[in-house]
Amino acid sequence: MKVKKLTALVMAGAMMGTMAMSTMAFAEEAELPTLDTIVLGEDYTDLEATIKVLTHRTDIVDTVFAEYIASFNELYPGITVEYEAVTDYAEDIKIRLTTDDWGDICMIPTNLQKNELADEFISFGEKETLDTMYVMLNNFTYDGQVYGIPSTGNAQGVVYNKKVFEAAGITELPKTPDEFIAALQAIKDNTEAIPLYTNFAAGWTMGAWDAYVGGSATGDPDFMNYGLVHAENPFADNGEQTGPYAVYNVLYEAVAQGLIEDDPTTTDWEGCKGMINNGEIGCMVLGSWAVVQMQEAGPNAADIGYMPFPITVDGAQYAAAGPDYCYGINVNAETDNQIASLLYVKWLTEESGFSYDQGGLPICVGGEYPDVLSAFDGVTLVVDNPAKEGEEDLFGNINTDSEVGLNMDNTHVQMVLEEALQGGKTMEEIAAEWNEAWAEAQADYEVEVAPYEYQPMGAAAEDEAVEETSAAE
Amino acid sequence: MPGTTLGKQKKPFGQWLRTRKVQQWLVIIAFMTIPLILLVTFSYVPFAKMFEFSLYKMKRYDSKNNKFIGLENYLDVFSRDDCFNSLKLAGYYIVASFIQLAMALYFATILCFKVRGGSLFKGLIFFPYLISGIAIGFIFKFFYTRGFVFDTVLSWIGLNPESLPYWLKDTRINNASLAATSVWRYMGQNMVLFLGAMMSVDPTLYEACAIDGANSWAKFRYIMLPSIKSVILLNMILSISGSLSAFEPPYVITGGTFGTSTYFVMMNSLAHEKGKIGLAAAMAVVLMGLIFIVTIAQQVIMKVADEDWREERRNKKLAKARKKAEKEARA
Repeated sequence: MKVKKLTALVMAGAMMGTMAMSTMAFAEEAELPTLDTIVLGEDYTDLEATIKVLTHRTDIVDTVFAEYIASFNELYPGITVEYEAVTDYAEDIKIRLTTDDWGDICMIPTNLQKNELADEFISFGEKETLDTMYVMLNNFTYDGQVYGIPSTGNAQGVVYNKKVFEAAGITELPKTPDEFIAALQAIKDNTEAIPLYTNFAAGWTMGAWDAYVGGSATGDPDFMNYGLVHAENPFADNGEQTGPYAVYNVLYEAVAQGLIEDDPTTTDWEGCKGMINNGEIGCMVLGSWAVVQMQEAGPNAADIGYMPFPITVDGAQYAAAGPDYCYGINVNAETDNQIASLLYVKWLTEESGFSYDQGGLPICVGGEYPDVLSAFDGVTLVVDNPAKEGEEDLFGNINTDSEVGLNMDNTHVQMVLEEALQGGKTMEEIAAEWNEAWAEAQADYEVEVAPYEYQPMGAAAEDEAVEETSAAE
Repeated sequence: MPGTTLGKQKKPFGQWLRTRKVQQWLVIIAFMTIPLILLVTFSYVPFAKMFEFSLYKMKRYDSKNNKFIGLENYLDVFSRDDCFNSLKLAGYYIVASFIQLAMALYFATILCFKVRGGSLFKGLIFFPYLISGIAIGFIFKFFYTRGFVFDTVLSWIGLNPESLPYWLKDTRINNASLAATSVWRYMGQNMVLFLGAMMSVDPTLYEACAIDGANSWAKFRYIMLPSIKSVILLNMILSISGSLSAFEPPYVITGGTFGTSTYFVMMNSLAHEKGKIGLAAAMAVVLMGLIFIVTIAQQVIMKVADEDWREERRNKKLAKARKKAEKEARA
């Protein structure tokens, strides 16, 4: 009732003029609770609303999500939740967001610019407060406000078939690019399997390679949002088999040495799941979200393993970790719907067990790790730090203007494969092109550029430990 | 003062409204409003908006961070090697469209006369046009996959499947492979248009022609072809502007990889993947200009090539010269 009165007031305010409207709008924002203040099962239990959720998970919308709705309705019988699964989600959501009434909850598109978040979504609360409850909130934080809560977390690595690796005589998982290429060669020589399946034709699957250039390749949590922005020639070969160059060079070499499928233009995404399950594929470079799908695609779920990306920085291995799609709530929806959406998002994050069931990293602080990620024992997980204050837009702007498009489009990764396959440009030439475009964009935004050295996580701590032991001697 | 002028010069409003002239204008305006509103809202306003986009550096449609940069996007379109160069690929589709028109004309001519099972063949040839372009893309993706349909068919006629090229990977032929799919799709539609025009030719002309001793070729050359000239021109304009804006085959089958990125695929990728809507809008405006030029050029060429038109011109010139001569003689 209170809410209705308030909306009425807002309407009246709108009629009185812009001055009045802006103050009332503030009042409305103040009325929305934040995620940390809500107690599930106690607050708003008599709220009645119908909310629509847009999701990319076409595969589980009628099964898992239907169960979620049923359990959620035990707490909140008045809230009706409707799911709409969108097949080509990444593309479609961008178009749908241009209207105001696309629904109530959606998965925020990954390439949305941070300064536009407040135009589309409501804030879940202050970053500082929410940090005590959830992890990996950086991606959609702007001006200290959190606009997206991760649905689950992904560790970045390589999906592989344990049996194929065994048959090829690989006893220890490769830890460097050279070892990895040697392992692929061994698979080619000793088995019938395709060593590395690129999923080139599907396009978006190639975008996975971008996920390794940060944490996995440098061990540096500041690299993605600070290092890349300020580094001089970030894509150049540093000679140590680390950094972005090493990641793309693994792909280049694998293609150039014929260690991938015969015809990349006609790969089949749905088909590859069964193929790796049956041991026809050695490995695929995909986020941890893919593991469950590969396991369920055939009878040999136990054969599917997940290993860190084969790059070693200063003797240690790292894996980039980050949020999957994040929930965002429509800023243009009715207040009742927004509150209902907040309740549902909180319930999904804390009660549903979604991220554990999907083999992802836990979102709640202190959550449980699933079994599939066991190969990451001893590997340091790197979650990217946010950009410095005032530089939030820089990475996005440089990334767009230079058209390198890290984590945004797939054409640059596809280009690496094309050039390697046709014997066109070398990897050095491709990297030089990216550096040139990158430098141009850096100059446009007047960014201070300097050579950048990776600061791997925990390296400082290890140094201290070494010092301690030597002191003990 | 005002009263007198009103009373003298103007009839009461109701009467004035009922005069024939006013009624005529009212009817004209009433009939024109709806189509004009539709035309302006759905053609001119969006186009003006697109032109406006092309002057900005913008990542999204409704963002406040759009920066006005004047004609820089247009300079980019012409200076970047991936924008304007992608128009070269249109060459493959233009060549394909001429093959397509020739085949359509051939089939239409045959099916225009009484042929056993004619309707069946017409249906079969027209059928691909009814399938959606996206579905055709998927059909041909499998068709061209190594060791699948096309390779199997070719191996039946004795070709070694190992020595066949990769239809979509090999940059020497992949654009031709893609253009072939659009021939497959649009040939039937062209044929039906030709057939419709041919049916309207008066059959007594053929009879008269036959009595004069003309063979089939002469019938085609001197009766059929001149009668369907305008439809051929129309089909050519449609095919060429269609070739310039080829999109579905490369987008669905190869995603624009391995050098198959046509102008439209490039435009889509710039706008929706790379976040450069302004540049993509500029490309669209440039393409529209190009299609204008091509269409006008085609009209002019056809006119010059047209014998009737040349004769008319010659007559006019002669008449002018005669008049001049007469004038001079009189003087």
